[in-house]
Parts: sequence; C-alpha cells; structure tokens
Amino acid sequence: MRVDLGRGLALPNPVGLASGTAGYGFELRNLIDLDRLGALFTKGTTRLSRSGNAPPRVAETSGGGLLNSIGLQNPGVEWVATQYAPRFAEWRVPVVVNVAGENEADYVHCVRRLEGVAGVAGIELNISCPNIAHGMDFGRDAGAAARLVEAVRAVTVRHVMVKLSPNVTDIAAVARAVQDSGADSVSAVNTYVGMKIHRRSGRPVLPDGTGGLSGPAIQPLALAAVAAVRAAVTIPVVGVGGIVDAASANDFLLVGAQAVQVGTATFVDPNTALHVLQGITALRGAHTVSG
Amino acid sequence: MSATLDARVEHGPIVSVERFGHLVELTARLPALASAVRPGQFAQLRCSATTVPLLRRPFSVAWTDGDLCTFVLDEVGVGTRLLAAMQPDAELDALGPLGAGFTVVHEAGHAVCVSGGVGCAPFPLLVRELRRAGVADITVLNGAASAAKLYPPERFQRGDTAVHVAEATDDGSRGRHGRVTDLLDLAPAPAAVYACGPNAMLASLAAALDSIGLTRDTVAEASLEAPMGCGFGTCLGCALPVRRADDEAAWALCCTDGPVMRMRDVDWHELSLLPGADVA
Ligand SMILES: Cc1cc2nc3c(=O)[nH]c(=O)nc-3n(C[C@H](O)[C@H](O)[C@H](O)COP(=O)(O)O)c2cc1C
Ligand code: FES
Repeated sequence: MRVDLGRGLALPNPVGLASGTAGYGFELRNLIDLDRLGALFTKGTTRLSRSGNAPPRVAETSGGGLLNSIGLQNPGVEWVATQYAPRFAEWRVPVVVNVAGENEADYVHCVRRLEGVAGVAGIELNISCPNIAHGMDFGRDAGAAARLVEAVRAVTVRHVMVKLSPNVTDIAAVARAVQDSGADSVSAVNTYVGMKIHRRSGRPVLPDGTGGLSGPAIQPLALAAVAAVRAAVTIPVVGVGGIVDAASANDFLLVGAQAVQVGTATFVDPNTALHVLQGITALRGAHTVSG
Repeated sequence: MSATLDARVEHGPIVSVERFGHLVELTARLPALASAVRPGQFAQLRCSATTVPLLRRPFSVAWTDGDLCTFVLDEVGVGTRLLAAMQPDAELDALGPLGAGFTVVHEAGHAVCVSGGVGCAPFPLLVRELRRAGVADITVLNGAASAAKLYPPERFQRGDTAVHVAEATDDGSRGRHGRVTDLLDLAPAPAAVYACGPNAMLASLAAALDSIGLTRDTVAEASLEAPMGCGFGTCLGCALPVRRADDEAAWALCCTDGPVMRMRDVDWHELSLLPGADVA
C-alpha cells in the first residue's frame, strides 16, 4: 500500500489526516494509533504565531457541512521547528508541515526554516486558506501561484505539495501552473467559501460573514475538482474533501488520486482515517482476487 | 494535551430515558467512561448514525452508577431532539471523558453550586464527589426560565440531607421570582463556588462574586460553553476569551483548557460581547 509521491516523500499507505483537523498530532495520539496512518498534515503554520479569529469559529450547516473560520491559529514556524519537529522525528507516521502566509516572503521564510529539520517529511503549501486576509490570492491566480511555487522551490530540496483552492473558475489551470513551476504533487481541495445565517438575528453566524465549508456536504464537489486536476497534470494528486468512510475515499482513488486526506470526519470519530484505511485495504484485496 | 489521555470512543446500550419537565435524563451503559470521568468533564455524543447532523454534541456527565452514565439534556436543537428520542437498547456512541473538570475541595465547610437551566448537568456528580471528599454541607442554587426547566431538587440531593437546594425562576413559576444570582445571600462565605449555566448568567455571577472579593482566595470555578468542532483540542474552534497571568488577552480552548475554568481567568466582558454557543 506504500505510495511514493516523489522527491523523498513516500507514505506507508494512502490515507492521511488533513491539515487543520489533526493539529500537530499530539491530542490525536492519545486517542488513536497515529503511526498506522499514511501521513499527518499539520495545522497551517505561519512565520509568526497567530492567535486566530474571534469566536464563533465553527458552525454546523444542514446537510452534513461544517463551516469554520479559525484564522490559522498556530505557534509559528520557529516553535514548530524547535519544539514539535523533534517529537515528530520519533513517530513512524510521516509529518508534512502545512505552510501558510500572507506574502511570498512569509512562505519562503517558513520553508527555509524547515529545510533540513529532522521530523519534517515534506511541505504542503497552503495557497488556499479562506480565513485570513490575502490568504487565497495565490490560489486564485495561476500566475501568482506559479511564482510562489518557484520561489519556494528555490529554497528547498524537499517534496512540495501544493494545496489547491476550489474557489476558482478553473482549478485545472492553477494545477498546471504549479506543476510547471516545480510542485511535486497537489492536494485538492481546501474548503469552499460558505455562509450560514443565524435565523433568529438574520445575520451571519461567523464574524467575517463567510467561512470555509468542509465535511460530507462537499464530497461530490471535491471529487469533480480532483477529477479535473487529474486530467490536467501528471504529478501525483491527493484527494481531500468530505471523506467519511472507505467508499467515499475510494471515489477519489477511482478518479485518479494517489492518496487521500481525511479532515472533518476525524472530529466526528477520531478513528475515521483508520477505518478508511482498513476499508481501502479490504477493497484492494477484493479487487486483486477478482481482477 | 493531557485532557484527552483517558478519552476513547465507547458504544453502549441506552438503559433509560426519563423526563423531568423539559429536561431529559439519558442513561447508558458506558463502563470505561463511568470509571474514568471526574466531575465537570464531558462526553461528545453522536446524535445520529448518519452524517446529518454531523458533529457530536458535548454533554457533562451528570451521574455514574457502576457501569452506567447519565446525561441531562434540554431539547434545544436537532441533535438534542434526536438524542432525547432514543429508545432503551439503542446504542449510544460516546467519546470521553473530555476536558478539565472541577477542583474538588477537601474537607471544606460549605460549598455552593450555582446552576442555570440545563447547567444543572455536572452538579449531581460534583455534589457526590464533594461529599466523599468530606465537604460538610452543600447548597445548590438552581435557577431556570420556568418551573418546567428546573431540574428537580432530589436529583441533586440523591437522599443526602447535607445537600440543600434553593430555587429561582425568571417567571416566578417556582421558587424565588428572579435570577439565580439573587439567591447568593442564602450561601454566605462559602469555601468554594462552582457554577454552570448560560455565559450571561456566569458573567453576572462572576461580577457578584468579584464585588465581595470572593474569587481571589476562594475556589471559584465555572463550566463554560462554546461551539465545538471536535471536543478534543484539534480543531481550535472552541475559543473563549481569557486573561493570562500578565493580564494579556488570549484565547483558551473550551474543550481542553475548560470547560471548567477559574472564574478569575475568564474575560467576562469580552465573552459578553460574543454570541452564545447556541448560534452555531
Ligand atoms: C477546522 C478546520 C481547519 C482547517 N485548517 C486548515 C489549515 O490550516 N490549512 C489547510 O490547508 N487546510 C485547512 N483545512 C481544510 C482541510 O484540510 C480540508 O482541505 C477540508 O476541510 C476538506 O476536507 P474535509 O471535508 O475532509 O474536512 C481546515 C479544515 C477545517 C474543518
Ligand atoms: S472543539 Fe475542537 S479544539 Fe475545542
């Protein structure tokens, strides 16, 4: 079940935990056997620590969705490199650090700081966070995304996975652009811009009006996006969005993703990713026997 | 981080669903939770086997009896309605125990529990543990909007004559006509104050206690609420405004730093500006 995504990032199996839904792994390690998973994608990490947005930060939507506006609360890259990475180095699960920023210099700083740091298996460039000012400009513009990836490529020999925003008219164009400027793989998708109205007050529930929508409500949308990306690039594609079980994960593999990430469903049951892995392993076994 | 140490997903059959006015007591066989939970900790309960509603809902563990755990619910939304409609023998899916519980004082003279509405939930267990720790007498100040939303006094006392209950309702349908904080004069000079209820009630309690200087050297703790994504510290969704030791404003996580917090650490003014947990 090993998945080699190239440039030094090989996952023991195709099921990982999505950024922002597993923290830096410490809480989940108490709840599940994290080391059986294919990868852990950390919370979006920035140059300086961020305290995050004012509450409420999460709201459930009807039809199996979760809206969030966390605002990239994280301890900053220095803390991650010095305090967390040494602990990651003791784990069997590969830890890919999700990096976010407001400008090119921020991203370059973070990636450079993590270069050569033991315990960091790769970089996931989050060019698509909808919850901070300028957080999505890179992901919305193929040219800007390409320049960012080029700048990051110049400072790292590590695997660089680029996390794509679905809030664009042509996700395939952005995927092609980042491939051409040196991305080793892409993950798709981040959350969809969504809104919830508080019915009694008639106002949006989240302080900024909108937030990022995730969960089973977005799985068909994410699947279509991943299929479009798959058709546009030759580098590996990691599918993410609305996975709740092996069947919904396998859909992404069927449209050509090499691996998947489980996000919101971990909140519902921390064992979800392990169940997905078990189910996919069983499905593969069945296909091998019958095929 | 340590708050999730004992937590696990556990499935067990519901053994009873009892109604007390608007409040519902749900009891299920959950041995691991029953043996590990401390007063004030909570469990995240799945409301449906499908993905609608999606998220678990947090509930204080109200009581344990051998292998059994009891939760108290108020049917305020779709999740609580589904839980309240569950039948004996149906399987309950619980994740817990989660969060930081109350500090159980030992051999103190007099402890006060201030409960607002379904904020009664953590107190039966807390009262039992306080009595086991040698607290001589306990007063529960119990307030709610109306008589139908008041948790019955016997549910706090469980036959223990050292536990006194005073009641207040907003509409005067039972007990004193007014707020639960109006009952504070019935509990002078307590060794410890514990509170649970809507954030607005907790804020006015904090102000009342502050004005008599109580929060500085007395155990004064409140169980707070916030919309939760996970309940175990990974989503960062449950931020609550606090004041750090250096008086800097900061966010704490309701699910792991709380739900029980020292009242002096909470930024009550900031909290009062936020919409309640019910918005989500
Ligand atoms: C609470 C929350 C926080 C998130 N934080 C991040 C983040 O920091 N960086 C990132 O790239 N994606 C973040 N995401 C997006 C997820 O990684 C994932 O792309 C998205 O939720 C869709 O997958 P899902 O439906 O399985 O959750 C976050 C999602 C949620 C729900
Ligand atoms: S509810 Fe997810 S961190 Fe508290």
